[in-house]
Amino acid sequence: MNVPQGRLRRQRVVTDLTTPLERALDDELTGYIRLEPQDTLLLDSEGAGVLTFDRGIPRLVYHTGTDNGGTAALTDIAVAGPCRVELYELDRDALDEIQETPELAVDPGAPAEQLAGDRDLACRTRERAPEDDTATDPDHDAVSAFLDDEERIAEIKDAARAEAQSRASDWGFDI
Amino acid sequence: MVEAFAVASGKGGTGKTTTTMALGMALAEEYDVTVIDADTGMANVLFHAGLAAVETTLHDVLAGKATVEEAVYDRFGMTVVPCGTSLSGFKEAEPERLRDVVATLAAETDIILLDSPATLGSRSAVLPIVLADRLIVVVQPTIPSLSDAMKVQEYATTYGTGVAGVLFNRVTDDAAIDDIAPKAERYFEGETLSTVAESETVRAARRAGEPLLAYAPDSPAAEAYRQAAASLSVQARDAGTVADRFRSAVIPDEL
Repeated sequence: MNVPQGRLRRQRVVTDLTTPLERALDDELTGYIRLEPQDTLLLDSEGAGVLTFDRGIPRLVYHTGTDNGGTAALTDIAVAGPCRVELYELDRDALDEIQETPELAVDPGAPAEQLAGDRDLACRTRERAPEDDTATDPDHDAVSAFLDDEERIAEIKDAARAEAQSRASDWGFDI
Repeated sequence: MVEAFAVASGKGGTGKTTTTMALGMALAEEYDVTVIDADTGMANVLFHAGLAAVETTLHDVLAGKATVEEAVYDRFGMTVVPCGTSLSGFKEAEPERLRDVVATLAAETDIILLDSPATLGSRSAVLPIVLADRLIVVVQPTIPSLSDAMKVQEYATTYGTGVAGVLFNRVTDDAAIDDIAPKAERYFEGETLSTVAESETVRAARRAGEPLLAYAPDSPAAEAYRQAAASLSVQARDAGTVADRFRSAVIPDEL
């Protein structure tokens, strides 16, 4: 996805994506946010996720590392751990050029549900979305694709075990 | 004879406390059950058990200001040890005292359910998982919840705690869960205990300050929790051995 360069409005490292997604909705952001995992233990940390918004409603998702789009890209982005978030504004005309890319489209509530685990925010987003944007429900597809990715899950589990072992000595647990 | 379970999720909002109380009530039909709110930073059991107004809680016990017996309440056929919600109570609490609390209660019960914090961010948050014999994983069928639940499981098994099973909670799409649950099972130890649908009844029970099984015993969600309880094969250990194990759990002297 070739996103025009936007105007950087905010950047921060977060562990919970609820706030940036909620802010994008409430501020009716037209533009995109760039999400870059900070957890280098996970191999998928290479590359960044890009999520476009049209008046606060999530439209397209793309991952620069895996070249995946849509719900597949959501699964690439949805990892536990800190994430650098950069929020960019764009003119609607600039965004319109890339909006008609169905293979990158996501259900408006999916980012809140799958990236932040916030069902209430997902419901609010869906309620605010234009009617046709809620016609599909790709959440199930995203979860299913995530569970099919055995390599990725092995990485998550390996990283958790390594973290648990490393912290055991810090915390004085005898393992 | 006693077995201690940590009810954990890794991520908040999965319905962990609802699950703890529901499993507790279902198991109490057969066993002597003790529920301990081990989430000392974000206590919730008191709101689910109609104990919001009590004076003495686990915070006081962990601060050395009260005995365990003073923080124990008989509710809904269970022994309930609620935790307080004040920040000062949280600050004064010494988490390592939890092992003594569990050791004391282990002598007089069959099953201990530790409602555990929804984070792995600190030693005190992980402590209930370390102390428990086995883990009950509460998970929503979303990617963050599944990946966090896997993390909790790996922490537990790394620290020598077994996994009793996985409970899918707050499920909104019955058809989808039939596809997702078998795929998820491959990554979790233990069995799938039950699938509990999202329902307004659960929220109403919480607002009423009653466990679901007391508020709506005939609801589909209550039945699903009973199924989960029936699927748990309790592996009772000798109470004295369990108490000794908790007391000797290796915890650093300094926070």
